[in-house]
Amino acid sequence: MEYMKPEKIIESFKEKFNDSIINSRIEIKTAGLKKNSYSLIWLEIALKDFKEAVKLLCTIQFPHFAIISGSETGEEIKLTYHFSIYYGDRAKEISFNLTAALPKNNLKIPTITDLVTGAQTSEREIKEMLGVTVEGLPDLENIFLPNDFPKEVFPLRKDETGAAKMVKKEEEVEKNE
Amino acid sequence: MTTISLFGILVKIIGAIVIAFLGVVIGLFYKGIDRKLAARMQARVGPPIRQPFMDFFKLMIKENIVPQNAVSWIFNGAPIMALVSSITILLYLPVGNIPPLLNGYGDIVLIVYLLTLPAIGMVVGGFASGSPYANVGAQREMVMMMSYELPLVTVVVALGWKLSQVYPQFNVFSLAVINAHPIWGLVGPLGFIGAVLLFITLAAVTPGELSKVPFDAPEAETELAGGILVEYSGRNLALFGLTDAVKTIVMTSLTVALFFPYNISHLLALSGIFALIVDVLFFLVKMFLVMFVEVTFIRVAVARLKIDQVSFAYWVPVSIIGFLGLILIVLDTIIV
Amino acid sequence: MNKKTYSVPIGPVHPSLKEPMTFNFEIYGERIEKVNLSPGDNHRGIEFMGRQRNPIQIIYLAERICGICSASHPFAFCQAVENAAGIEVPERGQYIRVIIAELERIHSHILWAGVAAHELGFDSVLYLSWRAREEVLDLLEYLTGNRINYGIFMIGGVRRDISKEQIPRIRKTLDYYKDIYGKIEDIFLNDPTIALRTKNVGVLTKEDALRLCAVGPTTRASGIKKDVRQDQPYSAYADLNVKAITPDVLTGEVNGDVYDRIIVRLLELVQSIQIIEQCLENMPSGEIVAEKKLVKLLNQLKKAKGEGIGRHEAPRGEVIHYVKLNESELPEVWKARAPTYNNLMTWVPMLIGQQIADIPIVIASIDPCIACMDRVTILNKANGQKDVLTKKDLHELSVQKTRRIAL
Repeated sequence: MEYMKPEKIIESFKEKFNDSIINSRIEIKTAGLKKNSYSLIWLEIALKDFKEAVKLLCTIQFPHFAIISGSETGEEIKLTYHFSIYYGDRAKEISFNLTAALPKNNLKIPTITDLVTGAQTSEREIKEMLGVTVEGLPDLENIFLPNDFPKEVFPLRKDETGAAKMVKKEEEVEKNE
Repeated sequence: MTTISLFGILVKIIGAIVIAFLGVVIGLFYKGIDRKLAARMQARVGPPIRQPFMDFFKLMIKENIVPQNAVSWIFNGAPIMALVSSITILLYLPVGNIPPLLNGYGDIVLIVYLLTLPAIGMVVGGFASGSPYANVGAQREMVMMMSYELPLVTVVVALGWKLSQVYPQFNVFSLAVINAHPIWGLVGPLGFIGAVLLFITLAAVTPGELSKVPFDAPEAETELAGGILVEYSGRNLALFGLTDAVKTIVMTSLTVALFFPYNISHLLALSGIFALIVDVLFFLVKMFLVMFVEVTFIRVAVARLKIDQVSFAYWVPVSIIGFLGLILIVLDTIIV
Repeated sequence: MNKKTYSVPIGPVHPSLKEPMTFNFEIYGERIEKVNLSPGDNHRGIEFMGRQRNPIQIIYLAERICGICSASHPFAFCQAVENAAGIEVPERGQYIRVIIAELERIHSHILWAGVAAHELGFDSVLYLSWRAREEVLDLLEYLTGNRINYGIFMIGGVRRDISKEQIPRIRKTLDYYKDIYGKIEDIFLNDPTIALRTKNVGVLTKEDALRLCAVGPTTRASGIKKDVRQDQPYSAYADLNVKAITPDVLTGEVNGDVYDRIIVRLLELVQSIQIIEQCLENMPSGEIVAEKKLVKLLNQLKKAKGEGIGRHEAPRGEVIHYVKLNESELPEVWKARAPTYNNLMTWVPMLIGQQIADIPIVIASIDPCIACMDRVTILNKANGQKDVLTKKDLHELSVQKTRRIAL
C-alpha cells in the first residue's frame, strides 16, 4: 500500500475544496525513548462540503471512525469527526479529525452512515445529546436517553436547552414527607 | 399375584410413606454431597451438606407467586405431579436384597413410562407459566425427552432380552428378577463388552434425565434464567427441588439395580438384620459412586450443549452405542 | 413473512449479562430472526459531571467510567490533556504507564475467559480462571495500592514509581502466568465441548468488521490488523515492536467466530507478558511525572489553549478521549469513547441466524463493557414530578421501610 504524507493529504483536500477549507494543521507527536513520531491532521471545512470531504477520505483508505465530539461556541456548534486512516501497519496510522461548524439556528448535518456504517451510534448520540438533526439518518428511538425524556432538552448543550436546570443539588431537594 | 388383604394394604401404605420420606431425605442429602464435591473440584469451599434441606425449608416459608398470565391450577399442579410420579418410581425399585414394595404390580417398562412423568410435569408447568423463557425451556425439555427415550429403552430391552434367553420362565422385565441375576454373570466376553456399552448409554442418559450439565438446556441459567423454573417460587419451587433430589435417587438406584446389584452380606457371612443393614449401606455407597460418576463429575468437566447438539448426541452417538451393546449381547447369545 | 415468530426480551437484568442492557429478540423456533438493541440502562451522566471538574479531578472520574478499564480511560484522558496542553511525559513515566496498562490487559482477558466459560455453562473454568486472575490483582495492589481503580495516572506522568525492589515481585507474577498459560490454552482451545459451542458461532465477517468500525480483539479476530499499539505507537509502545494479533497466527485461517476471539485474547495474554518483560528490561531512570506540584500543574492547564486526542488500546479495543482546553479552569469539551461503543453494532450481524443458546456467548464474545459505553444521562425527568432520589431520600426511605418491617 502506498502511504501519502500528511502534507500531501491536506494538499489533496485543498485542491478539491480550496475555499471551503477554513483551517488545517498537522500535529506531530513523539513518544518513547527512540522518539518515534506519529501525526494527526486537523481539518476544518465548511458545512456544504463536509459530506464530499468524507467521501474523499474514503477514497484514500476506508477510514476507521471513532467518535463525533461537539463543542459549543456561542452561536455555533462545532462537530469534530474523529477518523483514522492507514491502520493495519506499524506506525503508519494518521488520525484525521474533520471539523464542521453548524449555526445554532440551523443545526443540520448530512449523515455519513451511507459511507461509514459504524457512525450510526455516534450520530444518534449527537442527535439526542446536542439536538443536531442528522439528515438521512432513520428516525430510530433514543439510544442513550430514556424514551420518555423531554424532546426539547439536549443534555450536553451549554445554553438554555441544556439539562443543567434539571439537575438538583442534594440540599435543594425538598424533604418528601 | 398376591392376595389382597386389609393388612397387606396397610403395610403397603405405611411402607410407601416411609420410602417416600427416606427417598426425599436421602435425595437431599446426596444433593448436598454432590454440591460439596462439585465445589471442591472447582476450587471452591462450597455450601454445607445440609444446604439443600435449608433451601427447602426456606422456600417452604416463602411466598408462592403465581404469575398473572399463568394458568394457575396447572401451574400449581405441575410440581405436585412431578414429585408424586418420581416418588412412585421409588416404590418399584429394589434396595439391596429388599425387593421393591410394589413387587409384582409393575416392571421396568412401567418405570420407563413413569420416568417421563416428572419431565412432563415440568413441561406442563413451564407452558403454564406464561413466560417466554419458560416456554422455550419447556420446548427444549420436550425435545430432550424425545431424544433420550430411545437409548434408554434400548438398554432396558437389551437386558430383558438377555434374561429371557437364559431364564424363559421368569417375568424378565421385573426389576426383582433383573436385580437377582446380574447381567455380567450371564454373558461371555463379547456380551461383556456389550454390557459395558449399555452401561455407558445409561450413564449418558442420566444427566439428560436429571437436566444436569451438559444436558441442562431446558434450565440453562445463563440463557433462559432457569427456563422451566423461571416463574416458580416458594412452595412450588421447593417441590421441584424435591423432585430433582428424588429423581437423582431414582436414576442412580436404577443404574445400580440394572448393572451393579451385588451384595456383600454373604461375603461377610452375616445374616438377619445385620445383613440387611450392611446391604443397604453398601447399596447407598454404590448409589453414591454412580452419582459421582454420572452427575457430579460430568457436570464439572464439560460445557453446556445447545439443544440441537443434545438431540444429535442422543440420537446418533449414544443411540449407536446402545444398539452396538444390544447387537453384541445378541451375537454373544447366538454364538454361544 | 408468515412465519410465526415470538419475542424474547433479554435484559435489562439477566443472568447472562453482567451489566444492564436490553436486547429484544424476534425468534422463530430457536433461531434469531431480528435483534433490537436498546442500551442506556446504565447512564450516569459522566461527561456531564466532568463539566464541573478540573482536569485533575476528571482523571478520577474517568477511572470510574468502568472498573475493568480503570487504567485505559485515565491513560487516554491524560494523553488527550497532555496533547492539548503540550506537556511531555518523562520516559520513565511512559514505561510505568505501559506496564500498568498491560497488567490490566492480563486481568481483563482472564476475567473475560471466566465469564465466557460461565456463559457456556462451564462453571469449573470460571472458578479456576478467576482464581488465576487473583495473582495479577495482587500485583496491581502491590504496585499501585488498589486492586482496581489504581489511581496511578496523572497528567504528565504517573503518581507512583516502580522501585528496584518491586521488580522481582512483578517477575514472579509473570512467571506464574507463563506456568499456567499452557493449562489455560489447553482448556479453551482443546476442550471438545467449548469447541462445539464456539466454532462457527457469532461470525463477524471482515467486511462487516470494517464497515462497522469494530475495534479490539473483535475486529482482529475477523482478520483486520487494527491495534492502536501497532498503528500509532504512543507512550512507551513506540519503543516496543507490538504486532496486532490475528487468529491465523495460530490456526492459519480466519473465521471471525467466537473461537477466533478466544484465540486472539489468549495470544494477547502472552503478548502482554512479553511487553511487560521488555519494559522492565529497558526502563530508563529519571523522573516519573512532568510536574510534581499539582497547583502549578493546574495553573499551567488553566492557561493552556488547544485540543488533543488520546488513544489507547484497552483490553477491549481502542479507547479515545478528546479534550479541548480554552484558558479556563474547566475543560471546554471532554468526550470519552469506550471500545464497546463501536462494537455495539457488531452484535447484529453476529446474532442474526444464531440460536437462543448462542446469545450469551456471542454477547460476551466482544467482551462488552456497558458501563463504559453508557456514560451520558441526566438525573431527572422534567414532568414536574420529583424523580431524583438523593442520598438523603434513600436514607429516609430505608428508615421508613425498616420501621414498617419492625412494627
